[in-house]
Amino acid sequence: MPTLTPTLWDEFTNGDRRACARLITLVENHPDAIPDVHDQLATRLGKAIRIGITGPPGVGKSTLNALLALGLADRGHRVGLIAVDPSSPFTGGAFMGDRVRMDRLVGDDRIFMRSLASREGTGGLSPATPYVADVLEGFGMDRILIETVGVGQAELDVMACADIVVLVLQPSTGDSIQSLKAGIIEAADIIVVNKADIPGVELALQALRFALGLGKGRKDRPVPPLMPTSAQQSEGIDKLLDEIEAQAKRLVDSGRHLEMRRARIAREIRSGIERCLWEKYAARADAESGIAHAAEDLARSGGSPYPFIGDACAKINITLDRKAETNDSQDR
Amino acid sequence: MTPKTAEADRTAPVRDADFTTISGRELKNVYTPDDLAPEDLGENLGLPGDYPYTRGIHPTMYRGKLWTMRQFAGMGTAEQTNQRFKFLLERGQTGLSTAFDNPTLYGWDSDHPLSAGEVGKTGVAVDSLADMERLFDSIPLDKVSTSMTINAPAAWIFTMFLANAENRGVPLEKLRGTIQNDILKEYIAQKEWIFPPEPHIRLICDMFAFCADHVPQWNTISISGYHIREAGATAAQELAFTLMDGFTYVDAAIEAGMNVDDFAPRLSFFFNSHMDFFEEIAKLRAARRIWARHMKEEYGAQNPRSWLCRFHVQTAGCSLTAQQPEVNIVRTAIEALAGVLGGCQSLHTNSMDEALALPSDKAVEIALRTQQVIAFESGVANVADPLGGSYLIERLTRELEEEAESYFAKIREMGGMVKAIERGFPQQEITRSAYEYQCALSEKRKTMVGVNEFVHENEVLEIPILEIGESVERDQIAAVKKLKETRDNVAVKDSLDALEKAARTKENLIPHLLRCSHAYATEGEITETLIKVFGEYREQAFF
Amino acid sequence: MATDTKIKVVVGKPGLDGHDRGAKVVARALVEAGMEVVYLGLRQTPESIVAAAIEEDADVIGLSVLSGAHMTHFPKVMELMKEKGIGDRLLTGGGIIPTKDQETLTAMGVGKLFGPGDDPSLIVNYIQDWVKEHRREN
Repeated sequence: MPTLTPTLWDEFTNGDRRACARLITLVENHPDAIPDVHDQLATRLGKAIRIGITGPPGVGKSTLNALLALGLADRGHRVGLIAVDPSSPFTGGAFMGDRVRMDRLVGDDRIFMRSLASREGTGGLSPATPYVADVLEGFGMDRILIETVGVGQAELDVMACADIVVLVLQPSTGDSIQSLKAGIIEAADIIVVNKADIPGVELALQALRFALGLGKGRKDRPVPPLMPTSAQQSEGIDKLLDEIEAQAKRLVDSGRHLEMRRARIAREIRSGIERCLWEKYAARADAESGIAHAAEDLARSGGSPYPFIGDACAKINITLDRKAETNDSQDR
Repeated sequence: MTPKTAEADRTAPVRDADFTTISGRELKNVYTPDDLAPEDLGENLGLPGDYPYTRGIHPTMYRGKLWTMRQFAGMGTAEQTNQRFKFLLERGQTGLSTAFDNPTLYGWDSDHPLSAGEVGKTGVAVDSLADMERLFDSIPLDKVSTSMTINAPAAWIFTMFLANAENRGVPLEKLRGTIQNDILKEYIAQKEWIFPPEPHIRLICDMFAFCADHVPQWNTISISGYHIREAGATAAQELAFTLMDGFTYVDAAIEAGMNVDDFAPRLSFFFNSHMDFFEEIAKLRAARRIWARHMKEEYGAQNPRSWLCRFHVQTAGCSLTAQQPEVNIVRTAIEALAGVLGGCQSLHTNSMDEALALPSDKAVEIALRTQQVIAFESGVANVADPLGGSYLIERLTRELEEEAESYFAKIREMGGMVKAIERGFPQQEITRSAYEYQCALSEKRKTMVGVNEFVHENEVLEIPILEIGESVERDQIAAVKKLKETRDNVAVKDSLDALEKAARTKENLIPHLLRCSHAYATEGEITETLIKVFGEYREQAFF
Repeated sequence: MATDTKIKVVVGKPGLDGHDRGAKVVARALVEAGMEVVYLGLRQTPESIVAAAIEEDADVIGLSVLSGAHMTHFPKVMELMKEKGIGDRLLTGGGIIPTKDQETLTAMGVGKLFGPGDDPSLIVNYIQDWVKEHRREN
């Protein structure tokens, strides 16, 4: 089983891009290695701003992302860029074409780009994404752009690991708004209207404003600004960069960044415990078949699953109690 | 066919094989009058030389004039290609066709860093008027028609050609030939672009207007399905995307203020001839009919010459095999015959060794001889449209026309071809077809002899292979560097500045490009000047 | 569950050759075979290809060259891979490449090269076998 070796860590901390790439592969391919990697990375995390970029296919996210990465780098940041593409549910393979539109980033030491396949994620965010972002932050990147494709549940997951959510649309596509997952518009901190160099864009923007229902106040956050951009004109991109940086500053100054980080760590702890408990239960020989039998019986007879759940919990509780000490060391 | 035999055909056992065309079109065992609509032998057909030209553009077809035998040639230096031109003319070729190397096709000079390794490899390197002078040295430009396969920088390669003619005292109105100049299929298939579509289309319209006034015998564009097919399209996709590209240019020129009959007679086309014999013939016939109908009825062109879909045909490079290359002679002969039976105006036959390298003298001579055998021995040139009225051919012609029309409707719904290209529609259609065909080969539903069936194990290659020496690149780079030192650099700068200024207005750019060419500005210098104004197009990869 | 055997391949076209039918068909075949393919597209330089392969931690670099410039591109990419410390990855590809040139390239450390008519499954199998044999542990 591959692990984090001292050599790899040394190379990583010395700024070796190969080592960074290999560490990403490690967290991507070997979830078991994540605790070790995290122990090492922990002191290096907490400063970076993670920017989720999402929106329907074909709105020019990759091109925009490349321009944002360059712009952020020009403003003195080191930029990590994660582009997530869907894995085929049939073959497990993935086609990742984002680099075609990002070729001007290659060879720029201020930027590190990585393509990720969504793997068992259903088409949006690879489950390893937050960890990959951690590795990039540990490598010294203080702005991390995370781009997701497709429109679905997974788009909402962007929020879970992003400090700022940028929703990218284009002026002409009212129908694409309808295809957005409910909740994604509400989640956006900035709405970008890309490819806005068409004539009559003002009308389109107004229509979008109306369609999006913007203008209604949101409880805890300001109304997201609607920002026109185009790959051909740098003005819109500059304004977008200004807005991102202003929001980043507000996040940090207001303590909200720390609060979000706190929430993320709490979530991580919770899901770690959940995973651990589940694995304990799943390690029992009859775990899966027990559930299957119970489900079949209950489906036929119409009973409640809770007695079974209570039973199952009782079983692991006992197990946990008995082996508490040895498990403790393993779980670390 | 009596009902009795048709019935017997339907019930008799058949081989366990795929009977679809190479494009996956379902075919019946036999075609009868029942497969034709009344119009298929009526208004859809007519006579050769009559609207809608299904049967050919001339009443007498090849009795009147044989197709032009035009072998695509170009490699190494201008001198080498000039020698190949003369070799072909001596052996009975009747027109020239120039292949440029990759740096030239992209608008870059031989000394550009990204040109490394590519200079003179798949065509001739042309950097400036100096190369054009050597390329056409002692070739009678007023007698031999010349085709130049170049697109993104077509306008300034063309003006180098014009500058050379002017310097040699050949009047521009005597020049005959074709420049490919078809940028839309570059975005769709061949991927050799410089700017975004709009400025390229502007330059194309500038060419239409300039040639209408000054080079009236020149075909200002060759709207090409060839590359679309080579990229993996089906016959119907090739037909539909090519003609839709054509309509797009017509729209653009009309929008630029031209009258359709002023430029439409000089539009020409270029199709592929692939291995599926009857489907290819039907495709070529359908192309003429569709173009004529749209030009007459939709665009209201009055001049019958505006209705004509005149085309060059090249046999399918993608049908050639590296395995047992001699067999490619047979493939090419079949494809060439389809081109002739489809009524082409000029024809290129591929050489047997083109899956391995650029053609050797021997291979290109056999390819030319193949055309000569078809023209002078087979007898097929004696009768115009000999397949007209065939149940199968007329049925296929109609099917292809209908399929193309349904693609037109789809593309119009997307807002036209440029919009469709921007969203990747034709690209995705082609990529899908290419993959489906590859799967059919892998699963042996389709056969390539010597490749996935009838493989000759431990084959030893027995034909000569042309090699381009590494000295070509060195010499060419040295030549262009020397040129930049020895020419009148003030005149170069002035002409480029004037070009840049004009590019920012709506002025026709061809006279400015001609001035740059005369001053020996290099291709790359002109490209860079225009990029300053027009910007660069970046690849959109669609799957 | 995440598998630890996903093969990652970077596919690109170096130089000026725009003929991407083969590259796309092969890329698709690799995806269908369960691989993760990072497609770089056209007009790549040896530098951009190797830099991308490093960031992607690719097992394999696949190049398609039909322009006759293979004796320029393959050696440059190979040299750069060694220089940048990823000489242990596979460099393979295809195009119109005469046997004589293939032999020269193999001697330089380039992997098998494929030509017109070779079924994509040959490439899939070759890559799978190579990775099985050379898989790095970290």
